[in-house]
Amino acid sequence: MQFWRRKSLWLALSASWLLLILLGASPLLRLAVSPRPQPATPQGWPHWLDAALLQSFSQPEEPPEDVPQPSQALHGARCSWGTCFDTSRCRDDGLKVFAHPAAGTASETHRRILASLEGSRYHARSLTEACLFLLLSQGTSAGQCGPAPHHWDGGRNHLVINLHPDSCPRASQLGQAMVAEASPRVDTFRPGFDVALPLLPEAHPFRGGAPGQLRQHSPHPSAALLALGEEGGRWHTASTHSATCPWDGRCEQDLGPKQDLSCASLGPTLGKSCPTPPSASSLADVLKPLVSSKPCSPHWELPFSEVIDWTKAAIVADERLPLQVLAALQEMAPARVLALRQQTQFLWDAYFSSVEKVIHTTLEIIQDRILGTSAHPSLLWNSPPGALLALSTFSRSPQDFPFYHLQQSSHPEGRFSALIWVGTPSQPPLKLIQAVAGSQHCAQIMVLWSRERPLPFRWPETAVPLTIMDGPRKVSDRFFPYSAISTDAILSLDAHSSLSTSEVDFAFVVWQSFPERMVGFLTWNHFWDESQDGWGYTAEMANEFSMVLTAAAFYHRYYHTLFTHSLPEALRTLADEGPACADVLMNFLVAAVTKLPPIKVPYGKLHQEAAPLAPGVPGSRPHPQPPDQDCINQMAAEFGHMPLVSSRLRLDPVLFKDPVSVQRKKYRSLEKP
Amino acid sequence: MCASVKHSSRGPALIPRMKTKHRIYYVALFSVVLLGLLATGVFQFWPHSIEASGDWAVEKRSAAVPVVRLPSDSPVPERGDLSCRMHTCFDVYRCGFNPKNKIKVYIYSLKKYVDELGMPVSGSISREYNELLSAIADSDYYTEDISRACLFVPSIDLLSQHALHIRETAQALAQLSRWDRGTNHLLFNMLPGGPPDYNTALDVPRDRALLAGGGFSTWTYRQGYDVSIPVYSPLSAEVALPEKGPGPRRYFLLSSQMAIHPEYREELEALQAKHGEAVLVLDKCTNLSEGVLSVRKRCHKHQVFDYPQVLQEATFCVVLRGARLGQAALSDVLRAGCVPVVIADSYILPFSEVLDWKRASVVVPEEKIADMYGVLQSIPRRQMEEMQRQVRWFWDAYFQSIKAIALATLQIINDRIYPYAAISYEQWNDPPAVKWSSVSNPLFLPLIPPQSQGFTAIVLTYDRVESLFRVITEVSKVPSLSKLLVVWNNQNKNPPEDSLWPKIRVPLKVVRTAENKLSNRFFPYDEIETEAVLAIDDDIIMLTSDELQFGYEVWREFPDRLVGYPGRLHLWDHEMNKWKYESEWTNEVSMVLTGAAFYHKYFNYLYTYKMPGDIKNWVDAHMNCEDIAMNFLVANVTGKAVIKVTPRKKFKCPECTAIDGLSLDQTHMVERSECINKFASVFGTMPLKVVEHRADPVLYKDDFPEKLKSFPNIGSL
Repeated sequence: MQFWRRKSLWLALSASWLLLILLGASPLLRLAVSPRPQPATPQGWPHWLDAALLQSFSQPEEPPEDVPQPSQALHGARCSWGTCFDTSRCRDDGLKVFAHPAAGTASETHRRILASLEGSRYHARSLTEACLFLLLSQGTSAGQCGPAPHHWDGGRNHLVINLHPDSCPRASQLGQAMVAEASPRVDTFRPGFDVALPLLPEAHPFRGGAPGQLRQHSPHPSAALLALGEEGGRWHTASTHSATCPWDGRCEQDLGPKQDLSCASLGPTLGKSCPTPPSASSLADVLKPLVSSKPCSPHWELPFSEVIDWTKAAIVADERLPLQVLAALQEMAPARVLALRQQTQFLWDAYFSSVEKVIHTTLEIIQDRILGTSAHPSLLWNSPPGALLALSTFSRSPQDFPFYHLQQSSHPEGRFSALIWVGTPSQPPLKLIQAVAGSQHCAQIMVLWSRERPLPFRWPETAVPLTIMDGPRKVSDRFFPYSAISTDAILSLDAHSSLSTSEVDFAFVVWQSFPERMVGFLTWNHFWDESQDGWGYTAEMANEFSMVLTAAAFYHRYYHTLFTHSLPEALRTLADEGPACADVLMNFLVAAVTKLPPIKVPYGKLHQEAAPLAPGVPGSRPHPQPPDQDCINQMAAEFGHMPLVSSRLRLDPVLFKDPVSVQRKKYRSLEKP
Repeated sequence: MCASVKHSSRGPALIPRMKTKHRIYYVALFSVVLLGLLATGVFQFWPHSIEASGDWAVEKRSAAVPVVRLPSDSPVPERGDLSCRMHTCFDVYRCGFNPKNKIKVYIYSLKKYVDELGMPVSGSISREYNELLSAIADSDYYTEDISRACLFVPSIDLLSQHALHIRETAQALAQLSRWDRGTNHLLFNMLPGGPPDYNTALDVPRDRALLAGGGFSTWTYRQGYDVSIPVYSPLSAEVALPEKGPGPRRYFLLSSQMAIHPEYREELEALQAKHGEAVLVLDKCTNLSEGVLSVRKRCHKHQVFDYPQVLQEATFCVVLRGARLGQAALSDVLRAGCVPVVIADSYILPFSEVLDWKRASVVVPEEKIADMYGVLQSIPRRQMEEMQRQVRWFWDAYFQSIKAIALATLQIINDRIYPYAAISYEQWNDPPAVKWSSVSNPLFLPLIPPQSQGFTAIVLTYDRVESLFRVITEVSKVPSLSKLLVVWNNQNKNPPEDSLWPKIRVPLKVVRTAENKLSNRFFPYDEIETEAVLAIDDDIIMLTSDELQFGYEVWREFPDRLVGYPGRLHLWDHEMNKWKYESEWTNEVSMVLTGAAFYHKYFNYLYTYKMPGDIKNWVDAHMNCEDIAMNFLVANVTGKAVIKVTPRKKFKCPECTAIDGLSLDQTHMVERSECINKFASVFGTMPLKVVEHRADPVLYKDDFPEKLKSFPNIGSL
């Protein structure tokens, strides 16, 4: 028994030994053969067991560093915004720009640039009130720079617009001046200080400019859009009107071997068959339907690159890797192509289509630098309607504007302020006040009592605050951004307007869906009058409309700011002269911003007949009044184009006049025949 | 051993009657075997912790690292070339075609550099540089294959120029196997320059190498070539700070740096004197007791504050230039969620190529320190809170660790090499909460497509040929129709012969499908050439030509929406606590049925290829709700409501089951409600928007001669 036990024990022991040897021998052998690690490259960077024990790169125990003297003002190539521009001069009135008079004969482009400056709200009439001095470089392509003006001051607070950059030697002579030039080289360009412009051809329109070519959202095989191309190292901007490429028709030519390959390989991607290099002859065909725009190589700073996010509108690629670009473009998601195309159109229309826009954009960039923290956020520069139309003086928060609610996932406020304009001698609009105050969305009612008559003794009791504001004299005062307006929405009314609470409620609910548009009850339509060879407009009932009367309309309070602070003086004067013109002007303005028609909502027939809603100053005209055709033409000229857009629809309540019990309907009073 | 002894004391059961001597002998033998087995097991199954090629301990590093002797006359690279840009100094061919659009980064293996006398010239690797290289090695960018690499990172630690042998380090760089004048080499440096003038970029001659540097100024930074990185603060990594929400804090403005130029300190103290409690200017402590780290304390007069904790008490924190432009204080400030006020003229902020610092900082020129308070006061509270959230996001995403810094740097270089695949501004800058909630409408450009383009009608049909022909005839009367597409969804039956189809004025195409699926109606067929698509069922014969033409006109004014005829509503059922489908006469509408609706053809692409989750399969499996799915999709991607056109009609035809007829069915309603609940859970939200309006012609029901109206035949039953 004992023997058997001992035997089994021995067996177990030897088995374990065997196991041990089998398992343990090989690693031991490995260790024995190569006691040091293999010199071969380790997998990845080695993991160090003692990483925690390693010293840090910075020694906090270091004695405090020697602190140098505050830096002195820097010059030339070393200039940056903080060191070479004196913002304190712009403190009081903000940016004011004075242009040094041109010496000698000015070219057409120079004239247009100066005219653009004069039309800008940043224009200063005299040297003393200005804090930025504009100098149009007189250098022509023939060479030689003009002499420095008297008030040169080493170039401090100067902006030199250099249309022919090759002619003037750069920074060395310019001192502390900023340089705005077309397509500067990236290695001499001082970001945040210089401004990159697009090349302005002589024929570039002064104002307005051709709208973008895009007529539909999704790609169409044969249209070039905003085209930027490198030609002799300059960026061109143009909107194509024909199948040819925008710059001097070169695209249709075959590329000679001498031509710059960098453009050659990239040109085609502009959307139309631009020059095609022999090596990639199929490139153009493949890219045509795909690409919106694609500038050439990154040798040159892109126009307005300080504020424009070009990655949203262009594909900047390295010309050295054309095949890679090709592959990438082929794989590009339709969503991206769609977005790029639309963005080019928006950029073209917002910043490039006219000399005026280019110059105003340049000034706006400098204004943004001065403003610092209250400058336009990137979103405002890079989504419609663009920073020139979204005034940073209004607000810095995108959700305060009517345009960005989607991106900000915000909503316009759920209440409105009624603004009643009492123009002609009349009784206080008591009925109107009661009707408007009855709306659950009404936050306040403001009466603009513009007459010199004494204020009436009694005002009705209302559920909402009623404010009487005294003093406005001019018609354009009704569009003044009164600080008392506390809501996003304004219901603009005339004393003679007659509305029911239902109408007000419904119109406001509609406005909430379209906060960037005007929502009104009575409409006008514009048309091209062949016989007069000009624009005309009519108040007659028609199948379409393009304007709503501000005698009864909802719109965003931002438009008051825009009306007062962005419109040229001349236009506002025009509005003051002809009362109907104020309506037209407001509609022009909103249409120019939104590029969309206003919205019409139903209006009860009864009180329309009882008290016709007349435009401008009520009572002065019968309803189908003969409007002043002159003002619409003057405005179209001032805007540089006709911004109004016609609509053929009206938004009614869902059950409007449907054969169903009135009890089911929310807006019953609209149902009356 | 202890265990064995215990066993042996209870031994008799196992080894009975054995002599004690024997017993000890056996126990010893077993123990040895046991230990041996244990050791082997550990060796076999957990080998990397002990001895693997990737794990080096200190001794190992000194023993195993190859030594490279640098002769004193070995070449020194040129000084950095200030005109270098990606297109001149960077060899993109090395990056080549790459389906993932990702650069490949190689890390040189570790070497020890000694001079002719055998004295080491390179310092040991710092903790941060080791972390940085590990982060790169663990990332998708890493490659072991030097010949496939596009970017090379030396394992020579240049993070701090302090105690660096400039000349010898440069020589060490120059002898790297692929140096080639530094082309495609990436050097990391956080503390550049040295006394007395403190250059703003690394002084080591580096020729064409890219520099990821902390503390660049405008004149050393090569825009689009170098990368500006933060100066990492080891202090912030050590200290745990509780998260603090946005809002004003105890101090309005705080300055916590110790080494500040006396002139600037004077100005800051003047601010403090003027604004009292709101401004706090701290300095180093003079009378700290032994053992207290001076870097962790700050003092104001006799008050002692913990650093960096005190930063959390301030809304704005000054980050002033010291001898160097880049300050580790910036990292501490971001860490504490304090909005940095950067006062360092010509300083290139970290990652400024992609990060929008206007959203997270205030930059004040050095001359304007005195005006700083007013500037900060003018920032509205909402914007200030926005900045605090942005600071938080920047810290979390790009600053909080060496790894985050390394990956952001590589991403920036990657974006330059594959610009068409670059990360967008929003992806870099928008905090996740904003990214999640904001809607970017794919058709954002406000524009009204030309009427001349017309629309393509798509009729989905199975076998109701007679009804189909009636629909075709009716629809063909619409002036703006440009093409008619019949989607024949019946695989068991051929479509009628060509001769039997109605003769219409526009092209008529029949598409046969492979499977009877409802999704077929939304397939982006090549035959669709117009932007506008009219989806119409094969039994919708009651819509007049005026109504359809008007619908198209409405779509032109709202090309990014679904524009349809029968409207429906979703409601929240409070009893059941879920969504409910409603087809009654309501004052509101949130959906339109795609049995008759206009929409942009892009939504066909989205429906077919980008529908989230399993919605498409669910629809095909249930043979229902494809229209609800489309409503969800469009509302979700555009953030906008549908447009219902024209008055309500009875969509009923005598010989077929029309939408309304079907909708009235109770089980059908239950099923539709289920769809809404299902889709809402897949989308993670309820995207449908409720509106109270519909579109009618301008003169609809107005007192106006019918014959002068553009669309007189509207709403008649």
